Amino acid sequence: MKKIKVASIWCESCSGCHMSILDMDERLVELINKGLELNATPITDLKVPDDDTDIGIIEGAVATDHHEEEVKMMREKCKFIVAIGDCAVFGGIVTMRNYVPLNELLKRGYIETESTVDGKIPTSPELGKHLPKVKAVNEVIKVDYYIPGCPPSADAIYHVLKEILEGKTPVLTGELLKYE
Amino acid sequence: MEKIKIKINDNEVEVEQGKTILQVAKELNLHIPTLCYLEPLSPQGACRLCLVEDRGKLVTSCTTPVAPNMDIKLDTPNVVNSRKLILQLLFTERNHYCMYCEQSGNCELQNLGYEFGLDHFEFSTYEKKFSIDNSHDYIIMDPNRCVLCRRCVRACSELAGHFVLGEMNRGIETLIIADMNVPLGESSCTSCGLCAQVCPTGAIVDKRSVYLGKDVQTDIIYSNCNECAVGCGTKVYKKKNSNFIVKIYGDMDSEINGGVLCKIGRFSALFDEKPRVISSKIKDDFGFRKLDSDKIMKLISEKMDELYVYVDGSLFNEELELIKSIFKDKVYSLYPNEPQIPSNVTLNDLKNANEFIVIGVDLNREFGVIGSFVKRKVLGGDGKLAVFDSNFNSLAQISHYTFNLNELKDGLEKLKEFKSPIVIYKELPKDIIEILKGKENLKYLWLPPETNSIGLNKLNIKHEIKNSKTILFFGENIEALKNFDKNTFIIAFTPYEPEDLLRRANVIVGISNGFERDGTFYNLDGKLLKKEKILSPKFETLDLKKFLNEFKNVSLVK
Ligand code: SF4
Ligand code: SF4
Ligand code: SF4
Ligand code: SF4
Ligand code: FES
Repeated sequence: MKKIKVASIWCESCSGCHMSILDMDERLVELINKGLELNATPITDLKVPDDDTDIGIIEGAVATDHHEEEVKMMREKCKFIVAIGDCAVFGGIVTMRNYVPLNELLKRGYIETESTVDGKIPTSPELGKHLPKVKAVNEVIKVDYYIPGCPPSADAIYHVLKEILEGKTPVLTGELLKYE
Repeated sequence: MEKIKIKINDNEVEVEQGKTILQVAKELNLHIPTLCYLEPLSPQGACRLCLVEDRGKLVTSCTTPVAPNMDIKLDTPNVVNSRKLILQLLFTERNHYCMYCEQSGNCELQNLGYEFGLDHFEFSTYEKKFSIDNSHDYIIMDPNRCVLCRRCVRACSELAGHFVLGEMNRGIETLIIADMNVPLGESSCTSCGLCAQVCPTGAIVDKRSVYLGKDVQTDIIYSNCNECAVGCGTKVYKKKNSNFIVKIYGDMDSEINGGVLCKIGRFSALFDEKPRVISSKIKDDFGFRKLDSDKIMKLISEKMDELYVYVDGSLFNEELELIKSIFKDKVYSLYPNEPQIPSNVTLNDLKNANEFIVIGVDLNREFGVIGSFVKRKVLGGDGKLAVFDSNFNSLAQISHYTFNLNELKDGLEKLKEFKSPIVIYKELPKDIIEILKGKENLKYLWLPPETNSIGLNKLNIKHEIKNSKTILFFGENIEALKNFDKNTFIIAFTPYEPEDLLRRANVIVGISNGFERDGTFYNLDGKLLKKEKILSPKFETLDLKKFLNEFKNVSLVK
């Protein structure tokens, strides 16, 4: 049986979409039995996918230069890119910051919040630099399939992965497409 | 209407000339998606979603009338792709991140997105942020969610008659504004709430309801508003498995109001914070003591020979009939219910009239829907208005003639161009009534002071203040209880508990309010209307009808 290699990452997001992946429960085993192989994912804790990965799942919006690099790497290493969740698909809740100047936002978040004492804005060079604007994944790389929802239901994720495994083009309709 | 033949989806059909393609398709049960279109507003052609193809050309079906030789196709790839493109553009213009929008789950734009399988944005979004108008007591305007369909503008003018909303700037910068671009809360808005009802997106929302739940989480109950004698048709959205109202909409199909409501009918139930009578109690030297329904019955039975019964127009016919059947000729109305000059026009006559004389009542504050009917003619340029009032009357701002009430005689003389105007009045001094009666060309619409004044009238319950040892009162408006002698023993059956009541009444019995009981009443047209029970009683209130029936049986046994 030919294996289908799947890798996943999360960028600016809450990890809820990955919870939804796990929420497929025994159907995840069913997919694995059908040939799905989990490669580099936050679940397996490997950072860099193999060069011949078939499906790259991206959760989260592109908010920093690190995210930008990561999604570009995914595009290079994966045959199909699936954006999952509203943040990856549209920019999601993270786009709220696009409507407030960045310096004001950081000040509010790290210094002025009611519970903060002696706060300071982190400056470590290890951290990604904020892009001026939060972007959906398809504003940075080409995306092949989309699974919107916050988080998308396990049913929707299962449907898309199964269709790809069976060599079909996944299309979400009806309840599977509904945001709520 | 003349019939013509056209083709729709390759089928030849006979259709009436003058109708639009959309109307014809609807009659044939063919679905065309729409966004800016809303019956009964005039079609605007603002959103372009209702595109169809006629002989290869795309036309908007909501604004294009059928014409001979048309060959209409509803769902060609060209049509479907154009609609998808339009939707993509609508979603990327302004902020349509449903994720942080309170309208999500209740939004017509979002539903169209689902219908057309939009699973991502094709274009990057327009980032300009417009400021949110939160100046109004009940309504939030958020231009960032606006699709510029102009439903609100049309509804505010064509239906509600208030002509508050308009637009400013052009293209992508277009904004919906109130008056000459003032905050909504400072504008001429009457808080009728119709704009929030018709807005398909989260751009105009009612700030309480939008946080209380989505339509799918509610049961819709059709009922008539019993806050005044107009009796507007309403759709009440009650949260499923809960005991609160999410929102009240005007019923677009109602013959009375056609969807329009006034501030009172739309919002008062949502903001009802008046203190309630939460049980039954009797006053003695130490204050109030609780009382059960047997004791109340006993007390009334003991005083049966010395009491008079007073009712008001908040009671439904069934309750009034029961009270009359028990207390017979001892039942009186606490307030007048007799028209000083009877109406000789109906609400429908009013809707079609063009000459109005409003005397002594501010229709922006009470009988708001009557105000809508008058304003949509007057501000629409199709009607003349004269206002007579001795107090401030906000209609004076839009009236062609304004007089003080004591100028009535001369004032009427000056209204030469009014051929047979409708006089709209509520309660007037006697001399004013005499002047009016002397005029022959006038027609009248009487605004009853209470919701069921006409019901009281039909049951022949007269208004007369009798002094006696004991008074039994059933109703909501305790105001006139003050007029009774200080030594009168007052037993009040009433839902609300204003402070004066505590001071004045000897026994207070809590009953359900208008949303917690059902019954019929007559509106000002004499139409029999039904108020449905929407909520369960919130306190240990007494079920008035049940109590009266039991009491009737007990007193019959005697
Ligand atoms: S208005 Fe509708 S489409 Fe726009 S964000 Fe809100 S729910 Fe989504
Ligand atoms: S609440 Fe009524 S009057 Fe006010 S803007 Fe909306 S439709 Fe117009
Ligand atoms: S506020 Fe609402 S009803 Fe008015 S134009 Fe915008 S989307 Fe349409
Ligand atoms: S006009 Fe009267 S019946 Fe109509 S909504 Fe207003 S209060 Fe209710
Ligand atoms: S519904 Fe016809 S153009 Fe909007």
